[in-house]
Amino acid sequence: MKVTFPHLGTMHIFCKAIAETARIPYVVPPETSRRTLNLGVLHSNECICLPFKIILGNFIEALQMGADTIVMVGSGPPCRLGLYDLVQKIILEDMGLHYRWLTIPPRLTWQAFWKNYEETKELKKELTWKNILLFPYGLWMGWKKMVACETLERLAMKVRAREVKKGETQKKLKKALSRVDEAKTSRTLGEAVQEGKTFLQDTEQDPSRTPFKVAIVGELYTVMDPHINRGVEQKLGEMGVEVTRTSWFSTHIRRSLRWNKNGQASERARFFEASRAYLGYDVGAECNVSIGEAILRAEEGYDGVVHLMPFACMPETTASGILAKVSKDRNIPILTLILDEQEIEGRIQTLLEAFVEMLEWKRKGRSEFQKP
Amino acid sequence: MEEKGTIGIPKALMFYRFFPFWQAFFEKLGWKVVVSGGVGKKGKIVYFEDSCLPMKLIVTHSVSLKDKVDHLFIPRLVSLHRSYIMCPKFRGAPDIVRLATEGKVSILDETIDLRESSYLRTFLRIGKTLGASEKETKQAFSKAQKFSLTFQKEWAGRINRVPSKQLFQLEIPTPPQKNKLQEISPPLGFESQRLVPALRPGKTGTTEDGGGDKGEGDNLLRVALIGHPYNLFDIDINKDILTLMKSLGMEIVTSDSLPEKEVDRHLSDLSKEIYWSSGREIVGALFHFLSGDADGVIFLTSFKCGIDALLQEFIKRTLKVRGGSCAPFLILSFDEHTGREGMTTRLEAFRDVMDEKKKSQMSKLKVQINDK
Repeated sequence: MKVTFPHLGTMHIFCKAIAETARIPYVVPPETSRRTLNLGVLHSNECICLPFKIILGNFIEALQMGADTIVMVGSGPPCRLGLYDLVQKIILEDMGLHYRWLTIPPRLTWQAFWKNYEETKELKKELTWKNILLFPYGLWMGWKKMVACETLERLAMKVRAREVKKGETQKKLKKALSRVDEAKTSRTLGEAVQEGKTFLQDTEQDPSRTPFKVAIVGELYTVMDPHINRGVEQKLGEMGVEVTRTSWFSTHIRRSLRWNKNGQASERARFFEASRAYLGYDVGAECNVSIGEAILRAEEGYDGVVHLMPFACMPETTASGILAKVSKDRNIPILTLILDEQEIEGRIQTLLEAFVEMLEWKRKGRSEFQKP
Repeated sequence: MEEKGTIGIPKALMFYRFFPFWQAFFEKLGWKVVVSGGVGKKGKIVYFEDSCLPMKLIVTHSVSLKDKVDHLFIPRLVSLHRSYIMCPKFRGAPDIVRLATEGKVSILDETIDLRESSYLRTFLRIGKTLGASEKETKQAFSKAQKFSLTFQKEWAGRINRVPSKQLFQLEIPTPPQKNKLQEISPPLGFESQRLVPALRPGKTGTTEDGGGDKGEGDNLLRVALIGHPYNLFDIDINKDILTLMKSLGMEIVTSDSLPEKEVDRHLSDLSKEIYWSSGREIVGALFHFLSGDADGVIFLTSFKCGIDALLQEFIKRTLKVRGGSCAPFLILSFDEHTGREGMTTRLEAFRDVMDEKKKSQMSKLKVQINDK
């Protein structure tokens, strides 16, 4: 048995940690590349959303590398994410690839439990007692690593906006994350995080700069994965923008497990409540949260909002229409970026540059900007 | 009864399934019902959001109605089945329309969610908003239900015998069929009205008055037209494919003529339940008709429809994996740029394919009979 999982931001780091600690053999799919995307595009059609294509590409590459068991987070209605597995299974089957599929239920219910039991029945024969006993420890390690990654990423967002040498923070973040990835025990992990933090803070910074504050909202895959969004977070940061986002693994896991630690779930509820001014019903996925967050960020004095969505995403399409109105009503610039498989990195760069220039323009006031 | 005012119903989305009921209900309550006209060739589509054509059309129709009516009826269609849901875009539709019409018209946006509340209770709430007593509303409801039931019984015949532009002009009666064949009662809408069809006509194409201009009699090809109701019957979306098909000598049978039981039967062995009721209907109908209950199957989809894109891939792959023979299958995708000419060519070619297949089947049959 060889387990594999899709890429999503830093997810491979902690998924790997779980498998490694529980001593389950695993294959990390190669880093998402043009080839991954091309494989996904080839085996789906143009109106299927981008995350579907990338995840499919990841699976194909991983299966070709010898993986045989796919672990995938399940989801429910109303968005298409809930039926990814149904369609991806048949596509892989049609391609002649052999696999077994394991769905992690989005919510812990009896039905989910039963389905999981059915799916794992076969797998259990291949697992040893050691694997099963070590699994809770693996989960704990995974959670620790996830929190570690998020701490470093959050710090990098702050540092990046003030860095003197462009691109330095990104390089350092990569190194720090790989240190986290390599840590085997909880002690070395703690050390890696501490070192990473000081390492990042040591970046040469320009304290005189007051960076713009921009919130990234939108569909969670596009917000969380730099390969899907072509590094919007990094690009904005290097233009001197302090980026924030509320879509993290910990938020989504806490939400589905209904843990309300650190008030993260209640923050989501606050966004949801704010969206009621424009939307009378829960449209599903992140739609209401995107709108609510944009409204509240405008009130909190943010300079702008970047809204990310995959092409033809059902809930976010509704959101993008409403966000255009929010932007007018609340006088906050909102840039909607629709992402698909096309080579759009250059275009995104241009759009973001223009967006940041507009923020500058807004900050300085029209007259001052026109003087020279 | 004097008229209390006017209620506008945009001719878009689920209008094409529930209009008889809606109209009868409001008229019985003493309101005048105004339906928006088509967009036609020269009409302009309002682009409020970058969505699929049907969503753009509901905005366009609503905007054209906004100054002419007292209320716009755009229910929030969350679920029209006790366990399945509608497309997430429908949930935001009233809000989108409200923003697009700039709040200039009152919108009746009662949530229809049959998972939580019955159809009657939903309409009692609508009646209350309109100032009708509970008794009046109940009477109107039962009368509307009766009316829509008789309408549904005629529906399968009406599609073939009434010009497509007049399908929803309810005052135009369905011309009677010449030879008495039991008609399939299309199960439109909600549970209680889902009727198991009477026996199907034994042979295909025995109806002489299939509406074809050529009057080819037994040469009529029985073609299944599958898709969301608005794709099937909205002339602005499908460029009047119904008339075109009839003129090519095709007898049309639509996906909504399939009883729910049959749909469920085809979907019972899926690894995950499809949770959109329209999606279920489409996939069930495709499996049903492709397995031989029609001479050909045409699937109409709107560009950017998330549900169709995903399920289309699923259908194609499943057919490939299952193997065996299936009826000729044509997928037509529509957007506002689709031309009628291209569609005509494809339909003509499709008819030739069906003809050939039928001929070869006939000759095989003859050979078998001769052998005996």
